[in-house]
Amino acid sequence: MTTDRDSALLRWLFLAPTMLGIGIFVVLPIVGSLVLAFFRWDIITAPQFVGLANFTAMATDRTVGISFLNTAVFVLFAVTAQLVVAMLLAVLVSSRMPGWLRVFFRSTFFFPLVLSAASVSILMKYLFNESYGVINWLLSLLGIPAVPWLTSPQWAMVVVIAVYVWQNFGFSFLLFVGGLSAIPTEVYEAGSIDGATGWRQFRHLTLPLVSPTVLVASVMAIISALQVFDQPYVLTRGGPGDSTRTVVMVIYESAFRELEFGRASAIGLVLMILIMLVTAVQFRLARRFVFYQ
Amino acid sequence: MTRRLPALAKYAALLVAAVLTLGPVWWTFTTSLRPAAESFSLPPSFFPTSPDFSSYAAVFEQIAVPLLVLNSALVTGVVALGQMLTAAMAGYVFARMEFRGKNLLFAIVLSTMMVPVQVTIVPVFMIIRGMGLSDTLLALILPAIPTAFGTFLMRQYFLGLPLELGEAAALDGASPWRTFFSIYAPLALSGMAIVGVLAFNYHWNEFFRPLIFMISEQNYTLPLGLVTLQGNLGTGSISVVLAGVILSMVPAVVVFLFGQRYLREGLTAGSSK
Amino acid sequence: MASPSTLTRRALLGAGGAAALAGTVAAWPRLTGADIPGRGQDALTILILGTSQDAAGRQQIADAFMETHPDIPVLIQSVQATDWGDFFAKILTMVASGTQPDIVYTATEGAQLFAERLALPLDDYLLRDAEEMRDYFEDVHPSLVEAFMYKGSLFQLPLDFNAANMYLNLDVIERNGLEMPGEEWTKDDFTELLRGMKGDATPYYWTNRLFGGIVPWLYVNDTSFLIEERAAGGEGFWSTFYPGEQRSGGYLWTGSNATDDRVHESFEYLRGLVGEGLAVRPEEGGGNTLVGLFASGRIGTTPAGGYWVQGLAEGGMRPEQYDVQFFPKWRSQRHQFGAAGYAVMKTTDKPDQAWEWIKYTASKEAMELAFPTPSTTPTRRSMVSDSLYTGVGPEHWSRFYETLDRFPDTGPIPAPPQQAAVETALIRNVSTALSGGPDLVARSLASLDADLRDVFAEEDPS
Repeated sequence: MTTDRDSALLRWLFLAPTMLGIGIFVVLPIVGSLVLAFFRWDIITAPQFVGLANFTAMATDRTVGISFLNTAVFVLFAVTAQLVVAMLLAVLVSSRMPGWLRVFFRSTFFFPLVLSAASVSILMKYLFNESYGVINWLLSLLGIPAVPWLTSPQWAMVVVIAVYVWQNFGFSFLLFVGGLSAIPTEVYEAGSIDGATGWRQFRHLTLPLVSPTVLVASVMAIISALQVFDQPYVLTRGGPGDSTRTVVMVIYESAFRELEFGRASAIGLVLMILIMLVTAVQFRLARRFVFYQ
Repeated sequence: MTRRLPALAKYAALLVAAVLTLGPVWWTFTTSLRPAAESFSLPPSFFPTSPDFSSYAAVFEQIAVPLLVLNSALVTGVVALGQMLTAAMAGYVFARMEFRGKNLLFAIVLSTMMVPVQVTIVPVFMIIRGMGLSDTLLALILPAIPTAFGTFLMRQYFLGLPLELGEAAALDGASPWRTFFSIYAPLALSGMAIVGVLAFNYHWNEFFRPLIFMISEQNYTLPLGLVTLQGNLGTGSISVVLAGVILSMVPAVVVFLFGQRYLREGLTAGSSK
Repeated sequence: MASPSTLTRRALLGAGGAAALAGTVAAWPRLTGADIPGRGQDALTILILGTSQDAAGRQQIADAFMETHPDIPVLIQSVQATDWGDFFAKILTMVASGTQPDIVYTATEGAQLFAERLALPLDDYLLRDAEEMRDYFEDVHPSLVEAFMYKGSLFQLPLDFNAANMYLNLDVIERNGLEMPGEEWTKDDFTELLRGMKGDATPYYWTNRLFGGIVPWLYVNDTSFLIEERAAGGEGFWSTFYPGEQRSGGYLWTGSNATDDRVHESFEYLRGLVGEGLAVRPEEGGGNTLVGLFASGRIGTTPAGGYWVQGLAEGGMRPEQYDVQFFPKWRSQRHQFGAAGYAVMKTTDKPDQAWEWIKYTASKEAMELAFPTPSTTPTRRSMVSDSLYTGVGPEHWSRFYETLDRFPDTGPIPAPPQQAAVETALIRNVSTALSGGPDLVARSLASLDADLRDVFAEEDPS
């Protein structure tokens, strides 16, 4: 009997830190966001109930609108680029080559993942500088005039995407390498007898077989891209203009630069719902398109 | 499959990708070894022919690097150990014990995996303030210890360990505590290592929460200190900033070299759920 | 059941657990911030923008202060920030988190934000100790003081300032066979000078901030992007300390002036410079890189104040390699300046002690401790002297202070209480205005106008 009581005690003691922690720092804040979103509060003075004002303001506020648009553009291009680059390199690395070379390439492509986005953005900011950056210097060798990478609204988003993809493609790459290694070689042997080689082989054999991995990789890539903050914050501070201001940047600025905590909570809620929707939609699509072995 | 791809094209593509991946970091390293006055000069130097370490000395003068490192190490270390411990405990209970409400609790844990810290930052800020932890390292540590993902990972890990060990121990009269601490926990060390390495990778590099929670310079972590150094109104040179960047990368690279397997396993584990 | 490997693992687990526990206990003061000097103590807390090194520099003043005021323990705290806007955000965050200081060293950019929401007016103390204060005001130009007046009350005593003058790189000028311009030069002279700069140096480099950004070009064109008015009040103060001066109760920025023709003209001029390749597009931030670029001869001209002298010297630039000139003349030659001083927080429970600090730090003795090098311009005229600049400063260092005398209409950075929102609106639209064709200037100014209207329409939450 003591064992039973011991078990019960152990069970609750072991669960307590995690469950209490999640309750206080995740569940409670979600509820808090739900409440705060209906108030205007700068913490210094008493909160004011404003009904749906924070949400209607979001619809009319240009900065918020632009930030959602920017985030959508960012997610679309960054995730596509990340997946394409990762898949290409994963296929190449998974092809026949000496073992040490495979290890070298695999480690190399994975390496940027261990660096901090802040540090990477700092060094990229110098590389992309218009007048003394190495990138423009390299372009000048090819006779291309200096590009205002970070100071023109058109290019700034390109740089933010490039820097983000540079650092994060390794993650999808790892998933794809894992997915590819799970494909039995007999499949290819059978395929090559049928004349499936090169692109045809990739399109009709490999891709369907790794499609579950592609799905998972894209869900994870989209979710993390929706939260992008470090790169635009360090590279451009959201500028020039609003051209690289993302949703999380607006949450940060509303809350901690303008002390509009209610509005920040409202935007946070919308972003959270968006993330949930993306996940749900992708898993619905999965049932129709993904080939499961 | 790409066996028939011309080998030359394949290696050329991989080489270009490798240069693009390592190039920026290499440039950072060589530029950090240039004297401050030359740090803007073009063409860039890609090889440190006459390395100049003055920028590294300057980093220590301009920002309190040892303190930044200590803060980052403390936050990262306590969070990693805390996550390893709490995730192992909770994961064990979810894997090995039957009780009412277990599925509900586990469902709650899993569903919070989808909630990123960015969207709940305002209420978390208020909770931290309510606890009197504003502008302390604990504000970064406490909310980061409970880990839904780590709990999930450890549950999977414990599910993979043979059930008979515990049963045999119970027959020998071992208490549930003994069963956990003497039998299962030691076997789960590599699972815990995955949780720990993942926590290290994330929190060593974390920027968003420190930017918001850490106000006193004494509480800055490395990424925050570097961004501030780079953007300060004062004077400086890019060599100095880049020397700081290189210094901050060292521990990450060490973990990369020695813990790569755990990191890979941890990062890809999320995809197998 | 315990194989050797389980034993080692168990030992590892135990040792790891014990080490973690011991480590956490040992590090507890660091984790809770209890080791931060003065935390939890009842000292007069003074917050400055800067590094802990800067705080250590300031400590000298604190020590000298505590020598004469042994009953007032003082603690200097520093907060790092990339610019003043970032600094104010941190202070607001401190207020929000309940860790606010008693006194903050803050600049023109935040003067009205503080006056409106956070700071205590100094009027009563000033009148009480008028005799003691005379020496300070006799030495300080009234334009600087007026910048810290808000609705008839004085909130800060300016201790250092910087007017946006033009720095010229003599190496670049010499390399191109050009000449150093005179004090009366015009914006067309300026354009010609830039056109003469060939080679790898950027003729004009500027930032995208209130200071050193678009505003100096609006001021010399006798306009601003905000409607500028003066408040009534403060007569008692002016007649006490500056008899005969016609000064106001402070600046008021009451609305958008972005669609003014002259604003358009200034923007169009700068867009032309960018389009012609004479100027880079404005970048946000960039203080330190700018120093490096200027010192290494890669920039021809850039707007800056006296605060640059020390930085350039540390960057390896010799005094004869550059010089400083007034901003070029357009419709006027009105300059823009920013100043800074201590503000007492409304929330303090030690207002009297705080006033003692304000008084002490405005004394010449304290200011000499505060500004040993030309890393900014002291507001006391008697301190802007040979002893500060010899060997480090440019030939015409005296222009830093003369700016105020020569151009009496010189005014502060236009920063109303809604500073953050105004600066955001400005920065956001300046970059787009200058990145395309002429039609984009009008469009961006219309957008700036709309943004500013929003800012001024919103009733202040406090």
